[in-house]
Amino acid sequence: MIQVENLQHTFLIGKKGKEKHVPVLKGVNFEVKKGEIVAIVGKSGSGKSTLLQILAGFMKAEQGSIRVNGQQTEKLTETESAAFRLRQFGFIFQNFQLMPGLTAFENIELPLKLQGASKAIRKEKVKKLMDKVGLSAVADHYPNELSGGQQQRVSIARALITNPPILLADEPTGSLDSETEQDILLLIQSLNRELGLTFVIITHDEEVATIAHRRFRMYDGELVKEDE
Amino acid sequence: MIWKDQLDFVIQHIKKNKLRVFMTILAATMGCAFLIVLASVGFGLQDSIRNEILSDENITKIQVYDGSQFTEQQKDEIKSIEHVKTVLETSTVNASAHSYFEDRDTNSSLVITNMTDFKSVTGKLAKGEFPTKSNEIIVGYHFAQTLLNDAERDVIKEKSKKAEIEGTYYDGSEEGYKKSLIGKEIELSLASNSNGASETEKVKYTIVGVTKKPSYDWMIDNTVYMDSAQKVAIGSTLAALDKVAEDEVFNTEFNIYADSLENVKPILEKLKDKGYSVFSVTEQLDQMDIFFLVLKIGLIFVGTIAVLIASIGIFNTMTMAVTERTREIGVLKAIGASPKLIQRLFLMESTFIGILGTVIAVIISYVISFTANAVLPLILKAATGEDAFSSSDITFSLIPWQLVIIASAISIGVAMISGYRPARKATKIDVIQALRQEL
Repeated sequence: MIQVENLQHTFLIGKKGKEKHVPVLKGVNFEVKKGEIVAIVGKSGSGKSTLLQILAGFMKAEQGSIRVNGQQTEKLTETESAAFRLRQFGFIFQNFQLMPGLTAFENIELPLKLQGASKAIRKEKVKKLMDKVGLSAVADHYPNELSGGQQQRVSIARALITNPPILLADEPTGSLDSETEQDILLLIQSLNRELGLTFVIITHDEEVATIAHRRFRMYDGELVKEDE
Repeated sequence: MIWKDQLDFVIQHIKKNKLRVFMTILAATMGCAFLIVLASVGFGLQDSIRNEILSDENITKIQVYDGSQFTEQQKDEIKSIEHVKTVLETSTVNASAHSYFEDRDTNSSLVITNMTDFKSVTGKLAKGEFPTKSNEIIVGYHFAQTLLNDAERDVIKEKSKKAEIEGTYYDGSEEGYKKSLIGKEIELSLASNSNGASETEKVKYTIVGVTKKPSYDWMIDNTVYMDSAQKVAIGSTLAALDKVAEDEVFNTEFNIYADSLENVKPILEKLKDKGYSVFSVTEQLDQMDIFFLVLKIGLIFVGTIAVLIASIGIFNTMTMAVTERTREIGVLKAIGASPKLIQRLFLMESTFIGILGTVIAVIISYVISFTANAVLPLILKAATGEDAFSSSDITFSLIPWQLVIIASAISIGVAMISGYRPARKATKIDVIQALRQEL
């Protein structure tokens, strides 16, 4: 599903003229199979977020190749990359990143709007999904009227609404208490089991990593596979 | 994203910042309304002067300068030019026509012309028909009004005196013969201009028609028109009275008429090529139009500066909007909105401001223009004490549809341009940076 080969990236840090080259990715290789939950664990500053951003197409790596579902993504233009994201990826963010001016329903609806789906289809799909993730009661609530766990459920529902094959999660439980964290992890596991979705989870939390089928550890720009 | 969803998205954002957007629309409205009203003065003045020129003159008339008489051959040559309707020969008699009717009489000028040509040029009469027999005549619109008896002359004198004291003028329109003159027989003699009191013998004529009212309100037309069949008889009578040659008793004038306004110019050029010295009021209009074109461009330019100042407001509003929504734009990009879509959403917002501002400005401009035309003459009259401004002859402000199109194009165009940079900025927003922003 995802093949990453020899991914290298350097950041320029410091004032102009006195920049320092800081390598963040030093030739990363890994593979994610269809229907897997893969966790990439690492401390902050280890380069795991950079890896996710390059994977998602938010930025381009200096070297290396990424293949997602057979598509060489590092060569896509910005517009192509946006269209590709819309088809292939769902995103789950640490701080949910919901639109404050939209209700839970409208937030989940947003990717369908971007796809140009009709109102009737949108309504049907969103309703179905909200039932599934247990949000029907709060459809008309705005994000600030929802609990952290509910917000993350909305965020997950928004990621799922376009039926993407791959979900990228960046510290999905980072803003939640431990009880709610368990709920969300269970939801991710059930989605993986029932729908066969592929998850790539970036986290520093060893607890989260326990639900993964395979774990990688990021050390100072290098990725090491851990034993199952 | 379908069109309606994009529109919803934009409207939702505008609603969130009602006051700021309202102020920006207000600035755009003021700029655009200023542009339209300013330019409308140019259009209004041009219209006033144009009407002034066109109202009196027959616009299809081409005047011939040199008083020399056309020979029949020349007349045929001119008539053969394409789109020439008529070559009208009119002879004004060098004497005053003294008409008698019942106890009334009046003095007027006598014009002898070919009635067939005259008919084709003037078109319809106010009343009656064109003459067909030799003793039939038509008279000017005010002929009946100027037919006075002695009692009425005294009344007019009284009224004029009174009017003079009040500082106005009395035109005698309340007196004169009130019934229809059609079919009435009048007696007409010619009073020599050069030879004092002597008059020719009275000859009876029947009035068969009355000409149209002259286009100027102040013009009194009591001319007597006779067919050219009478020319020889009148000529010999008057020549005997004045003891001059027969051709000296007439002032003959030739006017060439085109079949429509747009054909005046080509005919004019052809005639000039043939060596005739001719003139048309349309030439004067051409020169005037060039002057007003320059004036209008100048006014629009000044007005555009106001629109540009308003555009700074739009630029600011849009830049703020982009900055405020950095995180939202980041999320949109992350979940797959293309840069083009994001640019379009912001361009739509600035265009919306431009369009709404323009629409309101057009409405306001029409109101201002209407009010100015209604109120300014009254103010000027009060200030100057003169009556001249009270008539509806002067248009102070005129907004033709062309001006609306030009102003809208400038205003909406400037709004879009000033929204372009912020919209570009929105597409350049770095997703990672945007997502890191705190809520």
